[in-house]
Amino acid sequence: MDMKRTVKKANDAAARRLYAPYAEAEWGFLNHWYPARFSQEVPEGGAIGVQICGVPIVLRRSRGKVYALKDQCLHRGVKLSAKPMCLTEDTITCWYHGFTFSIETGELVSIVAAPDDEIIGTTGIPTFPVEEVNGIVFVFVRSEDWDEDVPPLAQDLPIRFPDNNERFPHPFWPDTPSMLDKDAVALGVHRTGYANWRLACENGFDAGHLLIHKDCTIVQAKDWAVPLGIKPLTDQATQLIEDEDGPKGFINMYFTENYEPVLVNERLGVKASGTVPKYFRTSMFLPGVLMVENWPEEGVVQYEWYVPITDDTYEYWEVLVKRCPTEEDVKGFEYRFKNFYEPMALHGFNDCDLFARDAMQNFYADGTGWTDEQLGDMDYSIITWRKVASRYNRGIAAKPRGVAGVVKGASNVLAEIRGPAAGSYRKTKGE
Amino acid sequence: MMNAEVEEMEDTAVCEVDVRSVTVRFSDGVEHAFPVRPDQTILAAAKEHDVRLVHQCLTGSCGTCVTRVASGKVRMSTARGTSLLPSEAAEGFRLTCTSFCDSDAVLQFDYPSSVLDEPGPARCTAEVADAAWVASNVVRLTLRLPKDAGLEFRSGQYVRVQVPGTEEWRSYSMASTVADLPELVLLLRVLDAGVMSDYLRSRARAGDLIELEGPFGMFYLREAKGQHIMIAGGTGLAPMLGMLEDIRMRAGRKPKVLLSFGCASEDNLFYVDELDVRAAWLPGLKVKVAVANPGEAYRGLVGNPVEVISAADISDPATAVAYLCGPPPMIESARAHLERLGVLPENIHAEHFSASAA
Ligand SMILES: Cc1cc2nc3c(=O)[nH]c(=O)nc-3n(C[C@H](O)[C@H](O)[C@H](O)COP(=O)(O)OP(=O)(O)OC[C@H]3O[C@@H](n4cnc5c(N)ncnc54)[C@H](O)[C@@H]3O)c2cc1C
Ligand code: FES
Repeated sequence: MDMKRTVKKANDAAARRLYAPYAEAEWGFLNHWYPARFSQEVPEGGAIGVQICGVPIVLRRSRGKVYALKDQCLHRGVKLSAKPMCLTEDTITCWYHGFTFSIETGELVSIVAAPDDEIIGTTGIPTFPVEEVNGIVFVFVRSEDWDEDVPPLAQDLPIRFPDNNERFPHPFWPDTPSMLDKDAVALGVHRTGYANWRLACENGFDAGHLLIHKDCTIVQAKDWAVPLGIKPLTDQATQLIEDEDGPKGFINMYFTENYEPVLVNERLGVKASGTVPKYFRTSMFLPGVLMVENWPEEGVVQYEWYVPITDDTYEYWEVLVKRCPTEEDVKGFEYRFKNFYEPMALHGFNDCDLFARDAMQNFYADGTGWTDEQLGDMDYSIITWRKVASRYNRGIAAKPRGVAGVVKGASNVLAEIRGPAAGSYRKTKGE
Repeated sequence: MMNAEVEEMEDTAVCEVDVRSVTVRFSDGVEHAFPVRPDQTILAAAKEHDVRLVHQCLTGSCGTCVTRVASGKVRMSTARGTSLLPSEAAEGFRLTCTSFCDSDAVLQFDYPSSVLDEPGPARCTAEVADAAWVASNVVRLTLRLPKDAGLEFRSGQYVRVQVPGTEEWRSYSMASTVADLPELVLLLRVLDAGVMSDYLRSRARAGDLIELEGPFGMFYLREAKGQHIMIAGGTGLAPMLGMLEDIRMRAGRKPKVLLSFGCASEDNLFYVDELDVRAAWLPGLKVKVAVANPGEAYRGLVGNPVEVISAADISDPATAVAYLCGPPPMIESARAHLERLGVLPENIHAEHFSASAA
């Protein structure tokens, strides 16, 4: 029997067409705010390179303020961050031939070895708006044709509470904190995942994936009654968030009549074992930021970003936020973060997610998965996310040119995998 | 609006054998002045003095060479048929390939001079990948271009294709965008009788080879902060589809777009699902679909795509930019209707699907 022909697919050709723009967005969405580095990773006077949506970006802190410029010298294209050279407080200099750029405007203001060159003052490199909030440096990764005001960071962060209490009631936990709250403290980690950023996004709110967390230490240790899966029952299960000047995304209405937790599978003899109810809720916003409310514990919220680096790598950010009005609260949160949340939640629990995303990559890398995957009812929220992202993204990043990750298996990439031992001259390369 | 002196269109001989000075002004402010002899069309004089102007057919039928008279007396030849509508002539539009100067004149062109530096039309042999009926009288023709075709175009422009097995060339607007190359999609209305129509009805097959030349035309998306209004009659939808993609791919907040699409009868309707998809992709897009002569069971809007637009559909007429495409009478009524609703004449752009030149 040809199985495929008789099976009902939630993502038939018509549904796929509706999210075609998302399927195009292999390199991510431009003109959004992304976390680039934690503040402490960008020390005064230094410069550090990141890549977001295929755009190389150098972050430079000077007199306390962080500036972001395109990390590609206009002369021979090397990364300024490969060997940072900062000769004055208001510039960054390319270590190779000395092209020197204003960190404020990106203008070429001098060339070390050719101070009278005619091109000085006539050209430059792009700059990017920066916001530093609660220990995280956010960059607005704009395309070169962006000519409008930059939208506020809040439009690219999850919705806030108590503002949304009436709309999205949460009877089981106190008001969820926000990055932007007064007294909020954000603590977290980031690391690179080896999959397309969209696979990572879709893992976080996937209502059927709780199975991979069943055996996690934290679940067992705390005896949490985490279901095997959560099944949507009505079309109200996911609700769209698309206010004109607000964040765009959707929320999964877990623990309401719209969802049914799956606690047992008789046929397979598997059941959720915990006895302590564990209430939480996931919501997802452009450009790809997940909010898990009431997680890992009461009064704490987990944010996750899946920031595209290339079309097959992403930076996975896990950030916990808590309101800490007193010094003592801050200390307590830091202590618990270091000794509990970081090892058992951000690593123990979420390492399973990283594993799952990497495991999907081969199926999707050449496009196969996007047409051959077989989504069902439990994937309703995935299709919702794809449609929302198709509709509200501020621009699809084209495949970039001349940057890391475009040419697969290039000799320098292979050398990097082999590590610094590949050539002793590489040792000077930062880190 | 414009202080153009609109002259009666007579073909009387010019008595004073006077050379006139014509100034052409592009939308980017670039100007050129050159002399025009009384026996010379403006386009011919421009050519003689190395001033480049966009044109294609040279016979007054394609409408590509259109200009608006800002001042002066400019007379269109009556010796030739013209695709210019009487209402357009009354507003000061002229086709430079068939116009003569009776006084010094200033002509305003609706495109920047930089357009003239873009690569000119390319010619290639394309292959028919698919010919599919999408309505009772509409065929979607998917062409596959050779790798080295060198065809670059703006969404909204058109190509000319040679009807296979004939010497006849016909013009069609691209429904696809450069991102879709080497595939090129055209939407063709099939008439009861006609060279291309007969080919589509009886002979068109995947694998057919078809000569193609383009792009042509000055119908494309304008930089605008205001609302875009698109009015499409039948296959006049084709260029709008490409322009909607341009809007989607542009960086930044998406502008408001109103697309009004109309067909004569329900079985002439096509791409209704596709327009739903486009509306899902573009938060600012509002689509109106109207049928002029529907059957009993029809539940949608009744009328032509012009009359179903009301003042409430236009958020700010002073900043709106309109694009009209379809049969000439529709364009004529759309222009009048939009002007009545306050859209500025210089913000109304049209592509006529005029009948092929004899
Ligand atoms: C710039 C431009 C772009 C165009 N883009 C498109 C397009 O995207 N899609 C599309 O379907 N058409 C388009 N047209 C019209 C197209 O070029 C042809 O005129 C049309 O397809 C008829 O061709 P035919 O060979 O079938 O008929 P012909 O052999 O040219 O004509 C047969 C008979 O039909 C009459 N006739 C011709 N054209 C029309 C017409 N449009 N309406 C009513 N009667 C007509 C003629 O007067 C003649 O009596 C465009 C025209 C122009 C000038
Ligand atoms: S468990 Fe998800 S694909 Fe197999």
